[in-house]
Amino acid sequence: MNARTRWTKGVAGLAVAALGMTALAACGSGEDSADGGVTTLTMTVWGGDVDKKSYQQRVDMLEEAHPDIKVDLQLIPSEQYEQKVQTMIAGGNGPDIMQVAEGVNVYSSKNQILPLDEYVSKSGMDLQERFGPTGELYSYQDKVYAIPDRSGAMIVYYNKDLFDAAGVDYPTADWTQEDAQAAMEKLTVPGKQWGYGGAGWWAQWWSFAYQNGGQIIDDAGAPTVNSPEVVDALQWANDLTFKDHVVPTAAEYADMGPDMGGDPAFAAQKVAMNTTGFWAIGGLLESDFDWDIAPMWQGDEQAVSAFGSGLAISRDSEHPDKAFEAIDYLTDAEAQQVIIDNAQDVPANVQVQQSDAFLKPKWATKDINMAAFAESSDFVFTSPLIPEWNEMQAAFDDNLGTFWNEGGDAKTQLDAIQTKLESIVGQG
Amino acid sequence: MAADLGAVIGAARAQGSRRAGGRRAARLPRPKLSRRGRTEALFFWLFISPWLVGFVGFLLGPMIASVYISLTEWDSFTPPVFVGLDNYVQALTGDPVFWKALWNTFYYAAISVPLGLAVGLWLANLLNKKVRGRKFFRTMIYLPTLVPLVATAMVFKMVLAPSGPLNDLLGVFGVHGPNWLLDPLWVKPALIVLSAWGAGSATVLLLSAMNGIPREFYEAAEIDGAGPFRQFWSITFPQITPIIFFNLIMGLIGAFQIFSQVYILTQGGPDNASMMMVPLLFDQAFGFYHFGYASAVAWLLFVVIIGFTALAFRTSRRWVFYETEVR
Repeated sequence: MNARTRWTKGVAGLAVAALGMTALAACGSGEDSADGGVTTLTMTVWGGDVDKKSYQQRVDMLEEAHPDIKVDLQLIPSEQYEQKVQTMIAGGNGPDIMQVAEGVNVYSSKNQILPLDEYVSKSGMDLQERFGPTGELYSYQDKVYAIPDRSGAMIVYYNKDLFDAAGVDYPTADWTQEDAQAAMEKLTVPGKQWGYGGAGWWAQWWSFAYQNGGQIIDDAGAPTVNSPEVVDALQWANDLTFKDHVVPTAAEYADMGPDMGGDPAFAAQKVAMNTTGFWAIGGLLESDFDWDIAPMWQGDEQAVSAFGSGLAISRDSEHPDKAFEAIDYLTDAEAQQVIIDNAQDVPANVQVQQSDAFLKPKWATKDINMAAFAESSDFVFTSPLIPEWNEMQAAFDDNLGTFWNEGGDAKTQLDAIQTKLESIVGQG
Repeated sequence: MAADLGAVIGAARAQGSRRAGGRRAARLPRPKLSRRGRTEALFFWLFISPWLVGFVGFLLGPMIASVYISLTEWDSFTPPVFVGLDNYVQALTGDPVFWKALWNTFYYAAISVPLGLAVGLWLANLLNKKVRGRKFFRTMIYLPTLVPLVATAMVFKMVLAPSGPLNDLLGVFGVHGPNWLLDPLWVKPALIVLSAWGAGSATVLLLSAMNGIPREFYEAAEIDGAGPFRQFWSITFPQITPIIFFNLIMGLIGAFQIFSQVYILTQGGPDNASMMMVPLLFDQAFGFYHFGYASAVAWLLFVVIIGFTALAFRTSRRWVFYETEVR
């Protein structure tokens, strides 16, 4: 890097927040035209090639079914999505339809997206019937702000070859945490193979916390991360690595290669079980070992996290009626089937989740227990999607770094996190 | 590159001449411009305008705006709320992460900048010798600078792995290497090791300065009986101090604004042990929607950088040598 670029970068770094401002100013005014009875809607989504293909296909279907709607689809790379959309909204030029996920309530709490209850009842859409328990996931203060679009529970991937070799029964939803640990121990070959990929990610160890009957944020909105249930879950997740040695340590993962974790380690047959989302299936279809998926095991109760995204309407939309009409179509069975046909994700629509198109996907080169997703959706816990979601995640990361890398006492760390979260949530 | 160098040296000189006198020169009435003078002035403004528009619109404007934003609470959606100096007070008294990031940034700058200079100087001095394959070595030493930072960082992730090549190498000498990127104690040294990777760009500048030193100096010194060390300290070093000074300033500014390495390698972890100022303000602005606070952090960083740059300029009079200023 020569000195001049360093200068330029330097000044840019200094004024980084300010530059955001300029970017807003630079974005011209929007042009939602409605001539000739055709309404043009802008729609922002994130992702890569497969996402682009799926969304475009669904939009094409929509335009055919509703000739009065045209959609200008904008696909934004995931890591820039929040910034881009944030900039669009701040510039008064928010998209008509926008994809949202865990960060949804940053927007809803500041009235940047519209409450949809009225549109839902007017259109006669039944959220419970169409989406099951996730129907009202994207709610804030008892109002629905986004319609679920993609939604899949976290599932257990297991290596059948390794299970057979160790003589262990395949995992089921009836397994308890103890059953799971017993299996992990039998599947571990010290220094060479591990029973489980680990639970260092919030979606994983939070599932254990909810299985114990704990909560990260309670129903009244107060953080409860140092309750005994949550402490036990976190300590168990950590002990699997540092006490029982059935999960690779961070150092052992780092030695396997850059950006190594449960997903690639499972594909490399280093770990016999891994808990993650739908996305791992695509890569595993080409693997040369036998594997399958199962619903998550249970604790005192059944609980598992789910990943997904919904579609919301920004306050800047000039045609919220049309935008909702589009969302209604996009989340209906016909358009949702595209999501599974392209092996993109789990469609949120339960009717599709139970259809043959989903249970026996046309791209599957082997039998996969796809019913695990529908089975899991009965006990998915509702993630605490507070407006300060990103700050909450940072509070966990800031206090659990060494804990995950070197082991430690869950209670001490969670006490510190509890204090931090109280100040974050208190800010409002 | 040359223009920046000129600017830095020019600034240093301007300070020097101001000291020399002429501070109280009487202001003469501005002479009337001739027709040609006016045309030239017109062309001056015409040709400078693209830069001027860019500077005012994209740099000065946003900078002034960020001063205002730093005095507000702003999430980028709702109108900013004026809060006075609250953000600065919060950063300086209420946010342990700010102080941690500031300390980490100091730590990083305090070691990586002198280290980069020392390595650059050492390499340049080696390459300045008449050895076989000198051009090849020069190319090899500059080459790492051309590799994109993202690629370098990915490779370093493997190099710095607990049982990676670096620790294997240390093992040869009987040293048990640390878990570089996973250990709060060692993650900053790991980033410093990565920074030494870019010493090649300083080397090239220093080398060209060394090439510009007249041979006669060395010949005269040799006749007087000066050995290689004496020659280096009494001739080479003083002659290239302006370039060292330039590298020092650029290095300082660059080190205080370290971002990409942190973002790719550690995201500030573990436990904020590698959180630096710019990653912190980036997270605050684009992750947590605290634009006011992020702007305040940016301006505090600006003050720190200006402070250190001023300090460097102040001490430069004592050790930076300009041949043209010899009286």
